Order: sequence, then structure tokens, then C-alpha cells
Amino acid sequence: MKLGKNERKTTFLLITIPILALFICFNTIPLIRGVIYSFTNFKGFGKYDWVGFRNYIDLFSDIRVGKSYWFTFKLAIVTTVVVNVLSLLLALALNSSIKAKSFFRGAYFLPNILGALVVGYIFNYFFTYILPAVADMIGIDALRTSILSNPSAAWIGIMVVCAWQAIAMNTIIYISGLQTVPEDVYEAGGLDGATGWKQFKYLTFPLIIPFFSINMVLCVKNFLMVFDQIMALTKGGPAQSTESISYLIYNNGMSGGQFGFQSANAVVFFIVIVAVSVAQMKFSGKKEEQL
Amino acid sequence: MTIKKTNKAAMIVLILGLSTIILPLYMTLVIAFKQPSEMTNSISGILSLPKAWSLNNFREAMEVTDFWRSLRNSLLITVSTVVLSIAVHSLMGYALGRNKSHSKFYSFVYLFIVSGMFVPFAILMMPLAKQTAELGLANWFGVILLYVVFYMPMNVLLYSGYLVNIPMALEEAAKVDGASTWRTYWKIIFPIMKPMHATVAVLTALAVWNDVMTPLVIMAGSGQNTLPLAQLNFQSQFGTNYNLAFASYLLSLIPILIFYIVCQKQILNGVVNGAVK
Amino acid sequence: MLRRKVKYLGAVVCSVAAMAVAGGCGNSAGDGKIEVEIVQYKPEAANYFTAVEEEFNATHDDIRLKISSPNDAMTILKTRFIREDYPDIIGIGGDINYSYFMDAQILEDISDYEGLANINQGYLDIDEALKFVPIEGTYAVPYVANAAGILYNRDMFEEHGWTIPTTWDELLTLCDTIQGEGILPFYFGFKDTWTCLAPWNAMAVDLAPADASKQVNRGETTFAKEYREVSEKYLELLQYGPEDPFAYGYNDACTAFARGESAMYPIGSYAAPQILSVNPDLNLDSFVMPANDAADGNTLNSGIDLQFCVTAGCKNKEAVYEVLDFLYEDANIQKYIDAQTAIPCKDGDFALPSILDGMTDYITSGNMTDYQDHYYPSEMAVDAQIQTFLLNKDVDAFLEKFDKDWLRYNRDIIRLVQDYEKQYGNAN
Repeated sequence: MKLGKNERKTTFLLITIPILALFICFNTIPLIRGVIYSFTNFKGFGKYDWVGFRNYIDLFSDIRVGKSYWFTFKLAIVTTVVVNVLSLLLALALNSSIKAKSFFRGAYFLPNILGALVVGYIFNYFFTYILPAVADMIGIDALRTSILSNPSAAWIGIMVVCAWQAIAMNTIIYISGLQTVPEDVYEAGGLDGATGWKQFKYLTFPLIIPFFSINMVLCVKNFLMVFDQIMALTKGGPAQSTESISYLIYNNGMSGGQFGFQSANAVVFFIVIVAVSVAQMKFSGKKEEQL
Repeated sequence: MTIKKTNKAAMIVLILGLSTIILPLYMTLVIAFKQPSEMTNSISGILSLPKAWSLNNFREAMEVTDFWRSLRNSLLITVSTVVLSIAVHSLMGYALGRNKSHSKFYSFVYLFIVSGMFVPFAILMMPLAKQTAELGLANWFGVILLYVVFYMPMNVLLYSGYLVNIPMALEEAAKVDGASTWRTYWKIIFPIMKPMHATVAVLTALAVWNDVMTPLVIMAGSGQNTLPLAQLNFQSQFGTNYNLAFASYLLSLIPILIFYIVCQKQILNGVVNGAVK
Repeated sequence: MLRRKVKYLGAVVCSVAAMAVAGGCGNSAGDGKIEVEIVQYKPEAANYFTAVEEEFNATHDDIRLKISSPNDAMTILKTRFIREDYPDIIGIGGDINYSYFMDAQILEDISDYEGLANINQGYLDIDEALKFVPIEGTYAVPYVANAAGILYNRDMFEEHGWTIPTTWDELLTLCDTIQGEGILPFYFGFKDTWTCLAPWNAMAVDLAPADASKQVNRGETTFAKEYREVSEKYLELLQYGPEDPFAYGYNDACTAFARGESAMYPIGSYAAPQILSVNPDLNLDSFVMPANDAADGNTLNSGIDLQFCVTAGCKNKEAVYEVLDFLYEDANIQKYIDAQTAIPCKDGDFALPSILDGMTDYITSGNMTDYQDHYYPSEMAVDAQIQTFLLNKDVDAFLEKFDKDWLRYNRDIIRLVQDYEKQYGNAN
């Protein structure tokens, strides 16, 4: 028995160490190099000087960075809620006994595969021409002009597109979660008279909580690091109202000459996002244990 | 198993939701067939059918992107990444998922790797471009290797999350029969995780298939193109040929859609297998 | 013991993986030919460069030319620089990136290149001005330029008998006339922030000193002073555009203008191919933005769109110069300007594209001034700041922020200028 335990331990170590080494090699080491750049005025090429903590000090006094944090978190929180509610609904629908299941599953996956250029063009068209025309017809004044040209409403447009694209992925994960719920749970529940909302709340949902937390983490990752949709829809405008943190890091760091400064931004952002996720995982981990 | 009645409420929800997908898809399709001179700024213009249903846009798009060569590169990178990811990440997810609750070391490694998900790619880009070049990895192999690392956090998260629902009793039974941990994993755990393999495959394949930045940065100057890289040719600041671009995007959508449908079946099959306890 | 072995194994995993494929790359020509590689940043000209590459290789036995025209070339160039994989020649614009590259000593001094003698002095001066501080040497050969002003629908103008304005008042009167006939004078695509810079640049050359940015760097003036008139006039221009210009992108504006939805479009010559792709029959012409109140105070906004630089430490300078000679042959330049509606930077007898008819006088007389935004660092996002200003219409707030941000985003450059002045006196 003791031997068996050792064998198990060794196997796990043999699996973990090489993979961990690979991960450190191509993730941690470049990250550390990036952190080093955050103490320089490196432009991305050529010579550079050490500037100490100047980048970090600048970061906390930069209104643009502050605004991008506000925008990003607002977008992430709202989109996460919208996406999870809708994709859970969809997953339940797709998992129930319906006709043409494969067709629906395929169709709902499509938004995820369309390239950013296509999605950007279509939705730009939708918000610029189609939605205002429809609003005009039914008489909604607020939507008569493109919401993407309104600095206080453009984020909603981005939220819609993010959700439209992300729902597919989250639905898949919820579906694979629903698959792990054995049929007999429902049968037993059915005997107890649990149907509809009650069945979901007391039987289904507790069983798919691990998938719920996976989806939460994925949402945080996707929406806090939102970039593609911004590039496709607004490029940070109008009036710099939709500059996400990742957009700033990429656009000013890579395309612009602020590599050092934006590295500092990335380091701080990384710490913030890890803190948020750890808190979140701790929270849902507790929930899992309770059940 | 009893045959259940069609869930009408679900059908209604699904059909309503479908309209949000059909409309954009219709627009994509119509634009892909039109000529630049048919593009207008009005609703009737965008919704109208093209003057002629000619495949010329598709033919030209294939030419511009050097379609078959780019497709081959994209397929090579995507398939290798998916296969490696399933093998490597599921192992890692297993090792971490089974140990993180009782071992400080594994729990740390788990958090360490999962937090890698939140490293903004932009900060890694420059150092990675340098590092891969120093290691002689500025080619498609390097790109695959990087993908295996980039998607490790998400996939490890998925696999170890899935393991929670797989009872330890299965492994213990195998151990009683004298099987090693390694053997137990491949014989029992790996097949059981099939639905998750399919999910991971879909997620990873999709991310890789559409990714532009990694090949752009790592393979720059190597003369090799992936489909998304080649598709960049359609757009520039001063002019974008949407018609060709849309045709090209529709073409590159087909392989991944087929892949998804195949994987979907696997997710379903997995249920049948998993249900047999 | 086993554990140590395991660790050792892990530590070498990366290097083993690396070695498995090492040696696969490296680009020795093998057949004794010298390989010259060009990376140029204008993907829209890819077809032209492919043709040049083929023609060159067909007529030269000792050199093999390779030209790539990737999209997002700046990212590619920067990543290649960081891995010290320099193409022999880079084709870039005459903008702040060029200034940065010179400052970073990435470029080779090519003042010994004989072809420079044939280049229009005006463009060489523009390149000279792009140096942060005076440094010895020439680092680029200008190839083609573009110009920004106002594109107009020639048929529509003739039909209504409108004439080309030469002063600001005339322009406003013309706009009123056009509007009076129920036609939209201008189209704007301000959703794409970079298009906000087109009228801005075109007006700023008429109203602000050409070296405004450098004067500010030396602490001699402020933008609040130099850009006030530009900002105020820009707001006047805005009234003659579509109701919600921030809803439309560059592409929308090109399409709308091409379809005759507006009489004019204030943008650069580079927009012509996109506009004509929508409506090949459009009779397109251009004129200089008449922002100044006096006709002779106006100047054409023109800057270097594409120039070739040789990277530092280039080994085959002779071969590289041979390639440059070929690129600068009159016939090739003519082909380029025909395909891209560009202005040649080389002296000589070139047929200018017809859409530049209205600007020809300025071009031949050399009355041209570089884009102001070629001095703006991209991360300062002046385009987005202008968009914000056009939305809020607050001149004072805009200019105050402009001055404040300028000092922050150009901190290193300003320090460079100050150091230089301390050492050598006025950096002018």
C-alpha cells in the first residue's frame, strides 16, 4: 500500500515538473523580462534608459488609464452577468428535448467563428444605419443616432457584441456541465415534485456549479482583457470613451512608442486581475464545498 | 430511456434567438457575393441581393490569400496544437486537480498556471519575439509550442474543474487491480473526460484558428502565412475590400465549423459512456 | 534521487525542444547571389512591389531581391528589430516613427548614395526637419508623397457652376451656396479617429508655423497660441458636414461621397482608390484647403508617404544601392503614382494623376508643407483628442489638454532637445 502511494506521488511529479518547466520557459520568463522593461523608457526598439518607478508614478496620475479601468470594469461586470444568464438559458434549451438539436447547436456557435473584421463591419452597419432607422420607425428618440457615436452609450454597443460572441463558448461549457448531471437525478427529483424553476435551483444548478465558476473566470478573462471587439467597433472612440486597458497596452505599447510605460500598466493590470480572480475562485470554491 | 415530448418553450426561445444570428450571417453572405460598386450606405442596399451570384469573389479571395498553402499551415498549426493540448493539458489538469486540495505545492502550481491566463499578451510579445529567435523557434513549431503554453491556464482550469465530477472510486478500483497511476489515467480517466476533450478541442482550435498576433510576431519574415495572416491583406487604413474579405472569411469558417460539429457529437457520445457507471 | 532527475529533466525540456528545430532557419542564398530584402509598410501597393521584384530578379543575375508588403508592417519591423533580424531596406513613411528610428540609430547614413541628387529638395528638407536634433547624415530617400486637402465631385461643381475657393471666406460662402441647393457640402468619417486629422493637418499648414511642434519642444511657444485659429475654424467646418459625423467611419464617408451624397470630402489623395472602387465613373478632383484668409497664405499639405531607408550595419551597400537605382527609375515611379495616385518625390517629367489637377500648381512650384501630425507621437492619440474636441466643441479645454499632454508624451524628446541646446546653442 505504501509503495502504491509513492508510485502515485512520483507519477504526479513526473507529469507536473516538465510541463511546469515549459510553462515557466515561455510564460514566466518573458513576463519577468516584461516587468524589467516596465522600469525603463523602452520604446520597443533601440536604446533605453532606466527610469526607476517613473512609469508607475505616471500610471497613477494618468487620467486616461483611470478612465480605461472604469470602462473596462463596467463593461466586464455587465457583460458577465448578461452572458451567463443568457448562455445558461440557451444551454438548458439546447439540452432539453428539442427538434433539430445539431442544427441549433451549430447555428449558435457561428458568432464565435466569424472573424473580427466581419463582426466589426456588420455591427457597425447595424448600429449606424439599421438600428437608427428602426428606432425612427417605431419612434424611440434615444436610438435615432448611432449609439457608437455617443460617448456615454458606446460601451453598450460593445457590450452587445461581446455578449453576442461570447455566449456560444459559455453555452458549450454549460452544456458539457449539464451532460454530467445524471438522468436519474431528475427522475428522483420528479418524484419529489421538483419541476421548472425549482428543479433548476435545487437540482441542476448545484450540480453544475464547477462549470459556473469556470464560466465566471473565463468571462473575467475575456471581458477584462477585451481588445478585439474594441478594435473592430470603435478603436477606443468616440472621445476616448471606450479605451479598454488591453487596448491601451497594445496600442500605445506596441504600435506607439510607450512600451516601457505600458509594460508597467500591464504589470499592475495583471496583479489587479489575478486578485479579482482569486477572490472569485475562493468565493465559488466555498460555494462548491457547501453543497 | 423514455422518449420525451418536444419542449415547446425551449423551441420558441431558440428560434427567437436564432434571428440574431441569421441576420448578420445573411449580411455576410450577401456582401461576399457583391462587387465593391454595389456597396451603399442604406438598409435596402445592404439587404438587397447581389446583382449576380458569381463565385468570382471567392476565387479571387483564394488567389490573394494563397488559400491552399495558408490553409495547410493553419491546419497544421491548429491540429498539432489541439492534439498536444489535449494530451498535455489533460495530464496537467489531472495531476493538479487530484492534488490541489490536499497539497500546498500543487495548489500553488495550479494558481500559478491559471493566473497565467491574465498576462496581457502585449507585455509578452517583445520578450517572446526575442526569446523564440534566440532559441531558433521563430517558425511554426515555435508558434505551436507557444500556443500549448498560452492555452494551458484555461484548459487546466477546465480539466481540473471537470475532474471534480469524476469520483475517486473509479481510480481506486483500478488500483486494487494493480494498475499503475499512469495506466489508470490513460485507461480510465482519459476516456471518461471525453466531453471535456471535445470542449477543450473546440475552445483551443477556435482560438488558434482565428489568432493573428502570435504568428504575426513569431513568424514575421519567415514567408509562411496562416489564413488569418493572409486575410490581413484585405484591409489597410486607406482602403478595405470588404467583398473579398467576407468571401475569404466565409471560406475559412467552413473547416472550423465542421470541426465543431464533429466535436459536438463527441460531447454527446461522452454522455452515453459516462452514464454507464 | 529520482526527484532530482525529474527536476533536471524539466530544466532541459525547453532547450531540447528548441534544438529539435534549430538550424531550420537562416537565409544564406546558397547560389552565390546576394540577397537584398525590403520590407515596406504600404500593403495597398503590394501588387506593384511584386511586379518590381519579378522584373528586378529577371534582369539581375547577381542579386536576388525580396520585397514583402505585410499588413501591420510596423509591428513586424519592431519585432524583427528586437530580435536583431534587420531587413536590408525598409520602406516607411516620413513620420515620427522615422524620427524614432533615426534617434535609435537603426538606420544607416546614406549620404553617399548618388540617387539623392535627383530627389526634390523640398522632400529632403522635410526629412531633415524630422530629426529631433540636428545630426550628421542622410537616412532616407523619399519615394512618393501624398497630399491632403479637399476632394470634390468635379461633375457636380461644373453642373452648378461652383468655383474653387481660394480663401477661407470663399470656402464658407461656397458651402453656404451648396447647402442652399439642398446638397451636403462635406462628408466626414470621424468614427475612424484618424480621419479627424486630415482637415486638421490641411488647415494647420495654412495657419500655424510648419515647425510648431519643434518650437514648442524648445519652449518658445505653446499650442494654445499656435492652434487656436485652426481649432476655431475646424468647428466652423463641422457645421457643413452630416448631422452625426461621429457615426460614420472612413469607409462610410468614402462610399457616401462616391455616391454623390456630398459635394466635397476633406481627406488626402490616398482615399482616391477606395472612393473610385465604389464608383469608378466619379469625376474626382482636388483643391488645396483654403484655411487662410489670404489666398497666398495657403500652402499644400503634403508629406512623404513612402521612403526607403537602409538599416544600420548593412553589409552589401553596393547591391542595396543597385536595388534603389532600380526602384527610382522613372518608369517604375510612374507606375507607382498611377496605381496609388501619389506624388513623386523625384525631380523629373512625371504625369500626375488627374485627381491632383487642382493641386498641380502648388506641387510644381514647391509650395508644400509637411503634415503637422508627422511630429505627434501616436500614443498621445491627437486624433482621438481632436475627435473629443469636435464632440465637446470646447476650444480652451482642448488646447489646454493638448499642451499638457504634449509635455508628458514628449518628455524624453524635449530633454534631448534641451541637452542639445545646452551643448550647441539653438537647435534650429
